[in-house]
Amino acid sequence: MITLEDIRLSEYTLEHLPRLEELRRLSFVRKPEICIERARCITKYLKYRDDPTDSPELRQAKKVHHFLRRKAARFHDCNLLAGTTTSKALGAPLFPEFFALSLWPELETVSTREKNPQALSAEDARELNQLIFPFWMDRSVLEVARTRFDNPKCLKLFESLVFFIAGKAGCISHCVPTYTPMLEKGLVGLIDEATAREAEASQAGGGVNSRQVQFYRAIKIALQGIIEYAGHLADEAAYQARIIDDPELKKEFADMAEVCRQVPAHPARSFREAVNAIWICQIGMHAENINMAMSPGRLDQVLYPYFRRDMDTGRLDIAGAMELIGCLWLKISDNVIMVPEASEEMFGGAGTVPAITLGGVDSQGEDAVNDLTYLMLRVTELLKIRDPNVNARYHYEKNSDDYRRRVAEVIINTRAVPAFFNDVANIKALCGQGETLAHARDYAVIGCVELASSGRDYPASSSIMLNLSAAMEMALYGGRRPITGETQIGPATAPAAQITSFEQFWEAFKQQLDWLIDQAVQTNEILGAVHQEMMPSPLLSAFFEGPMQNGRDLIQGGALYNSSGATHIGFADTVDSLSAIESAVFARQKVSFTELVQAMENDFSGADGEKLRLYLKNQTPKYGTEDPIARKNARNLVGHLFRTYQSRTNYRGGKYRPAYWTMTNHAGLGGISGAMPNGRKSGGLFASGITPVSGAAPELTACLNAVAELGGEQVPGCWALNIKYTPEDDVAAMSQRFAQTIEAYFRAGGQQVQFNIMDYAMLKDAKKHPENYPELMVRVSGYSAYFKDLNDLMKDELITRTQYGLTDGRAVPFNDD
Amino acid sequence: MEIPSIHLRHLWQRFQQTLETEAAEQFLSLLLNIMRLMFAIDHDYRENIRKFDGRYQFNSKDGKMTVGAIFSDGRLEVEERVIDNPHITVSFRDGRTLFNFLLAPKQDILGSMLRQDVQTDGNLNYLYRFGFLAKQLQLMMTPG
Repeated sequence: MITLEDIRLSEYTLEHLPRLEELRRLSFVRKPEICIERARCITKYLKYRDDPTDSPELRQAKKVHHFLRRKAARFHDCNLLAGTTTSKALGAPLFPEFFALSLWPELETVSTREKNPQALSAEDARELNQLIFPFWMDRSVLEVARTRFDNPKCLKLFESLVFFIAGKAGCISHCVPTYTPMLEKGLVGLIDEATAREAEASQAGGGVNSRQVQFYRAIKIALQGIIEYAGHLADEAAYQARIIDDPELKKEFADMAEVCRQVPAHPARSFREAVNAIWICQIGMHAENINMAMSPGRLDQVLYPYFRRDMDTGRLDIAGAMELIGCLWLKISDNVIMVPEASEEMFGGAGTVPAITLGGVDSQGEDAVNDLTYLMLRVTELLKIRDPNVNARYHYEKNSDDYRRRVAEVIINTRAVPAFFNDVANIKALCGQGETLAHARDYAVIGCVELASSGRDYPASSSIMLNLSAAMEMALYGGRRPITGETQIGPATAPAAQITSFEQFWEAFKQQLDWLIDQAVQTNEILGAVHQEMMPSPLLSAFFEGPMQNGRDLIQGGALYNSSGATHIGFADTVDSLSAIESAVFARQKVSFTELVQAMENDFSGADGEKLRLYLKNQTPKYGTEDPIARKNARNLVGHLFRTYQSRTNYRGGKYRPAYWTMTNHAGLGGISGAMPNGRKSGGLFASGITPVSGAAPELTACLNAVAELGGEQVPGCWALNIKYTPEDDVAAMSQRFAQTIEAYFRAGGQQVQFNIMDYAMLKDAKKHPENYPELMVRVSGYSAYFKDLNDLMKDELITRTQYGLTDGRAVPFNDD
Repeated sequence: MEIPSIHLRHLWQRFQQTLETEAAEQFLSLLLNIMRLMFAIDHDYRENIRKFDGRYQFNSKDGKMTVGAIFSDGRLEVEERVIDNPHITVSFRDGRTLFNFLLAPKQDILGSMLRQDVQTDGNLNYLYRFGFLAKQLQLMMTPG
């Protein structure tokens, strides 16, 4: 029920919330620093204290506990919430189990590099070089996998980076924990539950050292680490309260001390305690799991009982609640990923993408939008910061028009957030994966766009990122790719010159695609097996339904639902290439297959090549239009990928789920891929996510319909559709049209859409004069980034994305002057 | 710091000349030899490889270069042959691409790998460590 008189909360601005204004200012001026605290602590632990006879879960729990009880309690600013992800105000933590060693060549230069420098002190660099990194050289997950599985071909394919990327490291954290049991019982309550279950398991014949018993012990040890860290926060806050003269600050620290004495160890008694408890637990999760997309989920639902109670008793007012929400948003963005210079091409500008999900329906299928939803929207609108990644669920039969319009308004005012998710299509997609209706209705977004039932579904949603253009090239060249030369990569299908029908080519393409999927799946399974031994998540397991009940860690399949996600790069370019071959080579016989491949090999050079390229680009069927060939090929590709992945079972007993989001990989991989049959020249960027190729879809309605019809059960991992709208002066009128367009797209089946409200000229200017746009936030492909932080490839991709006018629904012509 | 010897300074000049000419295939041999000398004469630099055993195989794709680099507790041996059991094998299109991969002011490690200019087989952590040693040498030789 909505009790707010003004859902826009217009009277609450940053001027009236000076704390948030100051914290926001700091968030833009702070420079990221590399924090070695965790790396130092766990390395020392493993060197001197680890007991290899313990179960993997117990070893991990002891390691995490060791770190958390030693983690420094820091207060960097006037944020009302206690706790920091790292020891720095804006820190990049190191996870040597995964990629931290890729920083090694840069130890001397990372602080001063041109693009996105991350400060590292000389002392810390020396410690990394002499003590920490050497220990991990043969111990990182990838190296253990290589050794154990004798350096298999699939791992080599992964390391070449041009076929698929295995995102196993990050997908440990690609999930949505549930905080409700912790808020209601406190961690002490969860520890008591684990104690009881440990006793049961022991008596049930497992004995005191069975794997199950050790798992429960591991949960207790890991959670105790969070409690001890909160205790240190309380001590430090109390000390600050004692030594500070300023009465206001003194009270703030005293209040924080009191909060940390209560939560998360004991049940939350107030909105403030609930918010801080969630934050401290999120810090605990990052002590164990990498800071990539650990998503807090539906906070407007989880926190609502505490908000309502405090509001009703007069303990809290709107401004106070907004201040706490803002403090949480800014805390969530207190950490970044350590990105070596080499990865800037792929991931430059990305935050850690912790997703927050608002609105939608509840588990009974009723409207779940509440006052807190609107407060969180308002805070998002005011702060305009990259993280957290805020998403709005919308159910067109249950949620109000006011809500839909308000979300549209926030998008227009921030130019980029939140992204919009269609409840009807997404609930259907999750039900198609065997989730109960009530569980599917309680879905939240992970990271970029992926879907998961909150605290029940462990979807490892970034397990595979597959390059579809690689399969296309392999089908054209009989299992080879120009970029890898004469090496036979995939099966030796007939090369293009010997193919006599589109159906034959489609079969060859599917054969190459399936072979690549097999390699990617095999890689994921290998890494999964190593993760089960090296990187279980007993702490995270305590925040899910399933592990506690059945005595199995998340990585062992302990969650109620287990799956692995596979996303795809180059979807639109691949569909358009299939359609161009079907149309130009076989239906119209405009060009022979041999001539087409030769022209591609020459990158369409020369007058004839350019003539052919223009024909392919402008006269063949395009995904994003109503052309039946393009629509059929898009449907066939989505359908084939769905069936192929669903026929594979992962190491946790769940299915693989296809998705279509690309982060910045569409730029990186496009930049090194050869010419394609759709007239794309060599090195041209691929379209992002499931978005049609820039310039290929001139009519907005047709574009949205073409995408929407692919949605639902066959895309359980969801997609990122990027749409760029011309900004308009009349925000109210624009919001209305905007909201109507969303409605139509969702009713047609569209699962997700995100926007950039900006035009070509503005983005070109922002590229030329970044100093004039220090805070310009853009949607990339599922996540937000500051435009200035992106590499030039990505900037160009954003500039050239099709821009539509909402008034006439037509694409604005792009002039590359 | 001062470049410690005339011989070393001469080598470094040659090294820089190779980068300015088309003789980039000499880049790796010169780099490894300067490294070897530096380990011998500079205690701090040698500290980086104390207790480190690492075996590296470098091959150019045109077959012109086959170099093994063997680190063993503070020493470096350079051998122009295929060595046994390397921790990592680095295959590169030519000396220029290897330079871009390891030492160029605007390093393009990922781009080199994506374009398949440089391919690796084995434990990448060893390559990262080598990258650090090469970069540190470069910083020592070109102070400021």
